Amino acid sequence: MDSIPSPVDPFGLYIHIPFCERKCPYCDFNTYAGLGDLFERTVDALCAEMAGRRSRLGDRPVTSVFVGGGTPTVLADAQLEQLMAAVHASFSLAAGCEITFEANPGTVDRDKFGCLRSLGVNRLSIGVQSFQPEELRFLGRIHDVEDVYRAFDAARTAGFGNINLDFIFGLPHQEMAQWQDTLGRALALGPEHLSLYSLIVEPNTPLYHWVATGKTDAPDEDMAGELYEATIERLAAAGYVHYEVSNWAKPGSTQPPDAVLMPEYACRHNLVYWRNQEYLGIGPGAHSHLRRRDEQGRAVSRRWSNHKPVPGYVRRVQQAEPVEDFAEEVGPRLSMGETMMLGLRLVREGVERERFQALHRCDMEEVFAAQLRDLQAWGMIETDAARVRTTRRGLLMGNQTAALFLPDEAVETDALEAGQH
Amino acid sequence: MNLDHIRNISIIAHIDHGKSTLADRLMQMTGTVTAREMKEQLLDSMDLEREKGVTIKASAVRMIYRYEGKEYEINLIDTPGHVDFSYEVNRALQACEGAVLVVDASQGIQAQTMAHLFAALEQDLTIVPVINKIDLPAAMPDDVAEEVEELLGVPAEDIPRISAKTDVNVEAVLHQIIEQVPPPTGDVNAPLRALVFDCLYDPYKGVIAYVRVFEGKIEGTPRLTAMTTGKVLEPLEVGVLTPAMLVTNSLAAGEVGYIATGLKTLQDLDVGDTITLAEGGATERLPGYQPLKPMVFAGLYPSDADDYGELRDALEKLQLNDAALVYEPETSQALGFGFRLGFLGLFHMEIVQERLEREYDLDIIFTAPSVEYRVNMTDGSVMTIDSPAALPEPTKITSVEEPWCELRIFSPSEHIGTIMDLVTKRRGELKNQTWLDTKRVEIACMIPLSEIIVDFYNELKARTRGYASMDYTLDEYRAADMVKLDILVNQQPVDALSIIVHRDDAYHKGQRLVSKMKEIIPRQMFTVPIQAAIGNKIISRANVQAMRKDVLAKCYGGDITRKRKLLEKQTAGKKRMKMVGQVEIPQEAFMSVLRLEEE
Ligand SMILES: Nc1nc2c(ncn2[C@@H]2O[C@H](COP(=O)(O)OP(=O)(O)OP(=O)(O)O)[C@@H](O)[C@H]2O)c(=O)[nH]1
Ligand code: SF4
Ligand SMILES: [Mg+2]
Repeated sequence: MDSIPSPVDPFGLYIHIPFCERKCPYCDFNTYAGLGDLFERTVDALCAEMAGRRSRLGDRPVTSVFVGGGTPTVLADAQLEQLMAAVHASFSLAAGCEITFEANPGTVDRDKFGCLRSLGVNRLSIGVQSFQPEELRFLGRIHDVEDVYRAFDAARTAGFGNINLDFIFGLPHQEMAQWQDTLGRALALGPEHLSLYSLIVEPNTPLYHWVATGKTDAPDEDMAGELYEATIERLAAAGYVHYEVSNWAKPGSTQPPDAVLMPEYACRHNLVYWRNQEYLGIGPGAHSHLRRRDEQGRAVSRRWSNHKPVPGYVRRVQQAEPVEDFAEEVGPRLSMGETMMLGLRLVREGVERERFQALHRCDMEEVFAAQLRDLQAWGMIETDAARVRTTRRGLLMGNQTAALFLPDEAVETDALEAGQH
Repeated sequence: MNLDHIRNISIIAHIDHGKSTLADRLMQMTGTVTAREMKEQLLDSMDLEREKGVTIKASAVRMIYRYEGKEYEINLIDTPGHVDFSYEVNRALQACEGAVLVVDASQGIQAQTMAHLFAALEQDLTIVPVINKIDLPAAMPDDVAEEVEELLGVPAEDIPRISAKTDVNVEAVLHQIIEQVPPPTGDVNAPLRALVFDCLYDPYKGVIAYVRVFEGKIEGTPRLTAMTTGKVLEPLEVGVLTPAMLVTNSLAAGEVGYIATGLKTLQDLDVGDTITLAEGGATERLPGYQPLKPMVFAGLYPSDADDYGELRDALEKLQLNDAALVYEPETSQALGFGFRLGFLGLFHMEIVQERLEREYDLDIIFTAPSVEYRVNMTDGSVMTIDSPAALPEPTKITSVEEPWCELRIFSPSEHIGTIMDLVTKRRGELKNQTWLDTKRVEIACMIPLSEIIVDFYNELKARTRGYASMDYTLDEYRAADMVKLDILVNQQPVDALSIIVHRDDAYHKGQRLVSKMKEIIPRQMFTVPIQAAIGNKIISRANVQAMRKDVLAKCYGGDITRKRKLLEKQTAGKKRMKMVGQVEIPQEAFMSVLRLEEE
């Protein structure tokens, strides 16, 4: 079986830092507070895992690196240096490789940003979440509004020209005016990129428990819808391109925003996910996706994830045991479904017919004739010679749309125990 | 055994008054079961009985007891108290000469106390009244004893006051049984005549007939005949119930026991039939039972159309143990292939539902229960229908008749007002009121059956703080202004949601149904109108607003598998709903008619 990628195919590298200063009550990421004792061993393990992957991947160039978590900026400068040195030692980075770090306004200063700059980091994603003090408290954030301004200023001063700010809307009882105020302040800073998420009450979080026990009201879905639509209008007016369900970026060109299919400041790394491309995840609980061709030349792939608990992950790496906990083989049909499910999140680009054809070696129109016909009739998608993408309605009903492309039962999926490979 | 030393009795009572617990004590006292084998309500052997703490099937047990130097054989049948299973009581009574009437000292005489007592008196049985639960703080044994004296003429002071639970004075019950209940009569040398008073299906032994031998005897395992069907039986074994089956291969006049008939299905043997010897048998059968008549009907469908075959198999098996269950195939536009089932009452329906779900692991949908209507057609013919979908067009109908029943409610007298209000609301008419004593009253009324099968009992309980009880018997058919109420979802009538209602209630019920549907039907991608209609006339409407937004906010970090599974789960959830005109209707919608009155 030959491997698909040509040297220019995007290939993302994700590195997971499972630490935060404090755990936010709504967060279900694999990240923990109070594990300071583990920083050193974890960084060693991350570096060791990367070194171990190298032999398997050859020298396929990495087109984007994303260091997330968690809060990577809780690590000491020396640890960050060690990490990036390992990246360079284990992988070859393509020219112009996007290197993103997530940062928490409460854990950064000018020196930290300076350190990141010196390590070649060229994009920042700062978790702001809100400009309303009471909302920041509700969300359990460790920073206040002033910290955000300080952090943003420090980042610019350090030379970062590509910054994303993360926000959450649709909090219980949030009013339009509050969200508009937050948006206004965000826009005033002029970031290149904005990620605006509607709050999800994830199982196994304190927030979930609060809602379940009536301590907190559940977010109002209708209100969240209203806020979302208002956001779409406001950001369009401010010149940002809405390129993914929850992501906006500056077009970066003189083209009228309406004509832009993909803004220049779109996050290259996240595009790898949405275009159903390949990536390698390093660290506890990190996910990976690598593709190959089956006997008939169809695209199939393997998705897997690492052991989640940090100490267990570290131990496995130290003892050279497999770190995978979960793996599934994605068959040709399911893989096509994933391409649709993910690609329809890209508001402008949608799923390009040619890309689909090149990847799956068959015609989207043939495989999904019924789904495309129905969705078009319902006004959920629009199609042309080049692509299929959602309408505004289809965007709001993204789950309903995406679900149609998934096989009835994921029969093609086999969960495999780690270590059987 | 000498007939003089045999006593055949049933224990009868209102639900929960302690029949099965008393049976426990009697079995223990007579050494029928050892202390180690004992558990509470031992005779309630079905899982569902144990779980609900309710007897569903009657069970028999033979006990041996020494009294004043003589050994007696007491055959005891524990019966259910619930009104839906009254037929079990009547069957049991026919096998006995006496009945122990248990009355709860804290509740006094209740509806089924009376109903079962009358059934026993009709069979000329000797009644041994017993006042139970005297250990309860709320017990009023003297008052209750007086109520009973009033009713039966048994002097209050002669009535044993016992606690079956804490084992107080239970021996007195045994003594009275022996002293008061007459021994059976019957000629051991006459040709065999044994009454089949119950049947059950045993996976190893096939159909087991519970019998009371009235005349003659069975020795060994001779060939037998079921007199009504003429079927010849080749019994595997004959014996007594202890309560486990104990082979004796001998049963004689006056005794109660079982015959493992060798038959494979319950349909081969009618309960109430008389069994005799194939050679030299009797010529005249014993009086049998009235055939069971289902009162309540409902559609039953598999949630997943692929499970139709499994559902059919499950019903077949269930019927082996539940002769009261009747069914035939039915189809619905909305729900596909299914069955129309007949039940003795709503409790029976609930039991069947639980057994199908539990014992056969089936995901099923029941439609709203209905009674059986008589439809007089313009061409002079008469149709009986038990399904709203089967109601012919109004133009073809001259009139519709519905079943009415006599309803008896027992309650403390302070609730008379609210009970009468309920009865009137449900189109009932008062017949008479009888004071049981200064504080309690029996209200007899006539009421349409359709008005009491759904939700009536709960409401009665709620209005009387749980103190009222009720009993009903089918009486007559009366003309009624009934109409079919259709529910349209997204402009399409959903046949499985139609109900037959009285015209006066149609508006109110239509409104309630529409708002119920509005709650139950999940928001879709588009606005879904829900309407209630009689014929072409829309009488109520509401909209399920379109979903505003349904999209995963976050989809990055590489965990595509989880996101995909979330979406797949959403789709799987939809599969459990029924698609009608592009709208998903959850299963509970089809049963929601049952909860129309709840706020
Ligand atoms: N306190 C007290 N509780 C009793 C007594 N006898 C029975 N009970 C309780 O009353 C409840 C009903 O008892 P059962 O023996 O199941 O009543 P039943 O008449 O067989 O009920 P059905 O068969 O369902 O009609 C149980 O919780 C018993 O424990 C008694 O003498 N005193
Ligand atoms: S800082 Fe971010 S990763 Fe850490 S707990 Fe809060 S939301 Fe989760
Ligand atoms: Mg009982």
